Amino acid sequence: MKKPLIVLDNIRTGYNSDPVLREVSLEIYPLDFIGIIGPNGGGKTTLIKAILGLLPLFSGQILFPGGKPKTGYLPQSSQIDRSFPITVKEVISSGLGTSGNLFPFLPSGKKEKVKKMMDETGLSSLSSTAIGELSGGQLQKTFLCRALIDEPDLLILDEPNTHVDKHFEQEMHEWLKELNQKMTILLVSHDIGTISPMVKTIACVNRTLHYHPSNQLSEEVLKVYNCPVDVIAHGPVPHRVLKSHDNE
Amino acid sequence: MSELLSILDYQFFRHAMAAAILTSLLAAMVGTYIVSRKIVFIGGGITHASFGGIGMAYYMGLNPFLGAAVFGTMTALGIEWISGRGNIREDSAIAILWSLGMALGIIFVFMTPGYAPNLMSFLFGSILSVGKTDLYILAGFSLFTFLLFSVFFRPILYTAFDPEFAKTKGIPVSTYRYMMSVIMALAIVLSIRTVGIILVLSIFTIPQITAMLFTRDFARIIPLAALWGVTGSVAGLFAAYYLNIPSGAAIIFFLTIQLMLIKLVIFVHRELQRRSG
Repeated sequence: MKKPLIVLDNIRTGYNSDPVLREVSLEIYPLDFIGIIGPNGGGKTTLIKAILGLLPLFSGQILFPGGKPKTGYLPQSSQIDRSFPITVKEVISSGLGTSGNLFPFLPSGKKEKVKKMMDETGLSSLSSTAIGELSGGQLQKTFLCRALIDEPDLLILDEPNTHVDKHFEQEMHEWLKELNQKMTILLVSHDIGTISPMVKTIACVNRTLHYHPSNQLSEEVLKVYNCPVDVIAHGPVPHRVLKSHDNE
Repeated sequence: MSELLSILDYQFFRHAMAAAILTSLLAAMVGTYIVSRKIVFIGGGITHASFGGIGMAYYMGLNPFLGAAVFGTMTALGIEWISGRGNIREDSAIAILWSLGMALGIIFVFMTPGYAPNLMSFLFGSILSVGKTDLYILAGFSLFTFLLFSVFFRPILYTAFDPEFAKTKGIPVSTYRYMMSVIMALAIVLSIRTVGIILVLSIFTIPQITAMLFTRDFARIIPLAALWGVTGSVAGLFAAYYLNIPSGAAIIFFLTIQLMLIKLVIFVHRELQRRSG
């Protein structure tokens, strides 16, 4: 049995002493690809913010049995101020943190890394473009590059499909599948229809959490765990359609 | 031209020029942070709350700018603290501190025996009476801010842009945010000398808006804002002297005219390009 990467042990967390999540326990294993689904306001983002250490725990604990993994994070696009005067290159560089580069000049090693990443992802021509001038897909790609540039062990994505076209969505799915060969991925989505073919396991979050060690949710399971999800069918994208609850 | 420059023979005008240039350079750095983070309203809160400190210092017979610096810094730190809580309405808190500062200022000035002759200069600035000590303080603080922006450029930029992500990268976000709050407060208070409480925010915003007509890159906005800040304020200063109008108001007027003219030139240039292409 592999050692888990992260253990959430009965955590209770939220904002301003108001617990959004209660008694959440979860073991995240290396190279898992967990789709975190659930209704709006159910606590999906709260869960990943707690894992990232951005929220205080009211009770319970988060353990990292093999040491704290290096994390790459793609926040919800609504959290980003698109009018902030910052270029694509600078956003991607910020993924490398600030150690070793005080002063405005990036050390050559980091500069090389950023250049390589932009070359590989086709962002080179947009290097000096301000993020406000990018399309939805280009913006998500930039933020995905920022999350990936430090070669994380754990990639956390919060609704990466928002404001992107179907073409980029498919490209991203291929990319994530490839990345999952070498890193653990947590992907938050309200749209189970789109993520279901990629993810390996599913966690339903609605104030509390239910983990399903498979990417297929039966009607029975959804009913038992009270996990309402959107069921969206897309044309060319491979998908599984899951039914909603009877009580919705 | 030589007639126009003859005014530079006067020491008070040379001092005023130096103050205008230094204030523009300082405001270029701090203002870019303010405009980029969209916290102009916080700047307004700091500016007006500092009037409470001016009044209190007057009453106690201390240096008014010391009072302003203390009040401004406390307000800036208070607002940063409130914004970190999330359960208090930040804009309402700013409005309270804003008006409370002004109210305290008025009460203390009223209670001070005798007439407070310099009060108007705090509201509208008194660049023509800037002395050598003022200049040294302004120059020293501008240099300090420049060094700070140079050394900590990336953490300042990253924490301003996406504090949560910066936190996941191990950057001590709160430390940088509080540090910038203090820098912001002191920069604003020192600039009050040049253009006064009522007009000070414009030198922290108009040159930046002008610079952003050319670039949307934080690092490039700063030097461009410095350039437009210096040209606008020096032009305003000359105009104030020769037209015998208040200098603070003239500086703001010229900064705005400059912004509008550049906007017009860019518009005409694009229009011509569109028609020819």
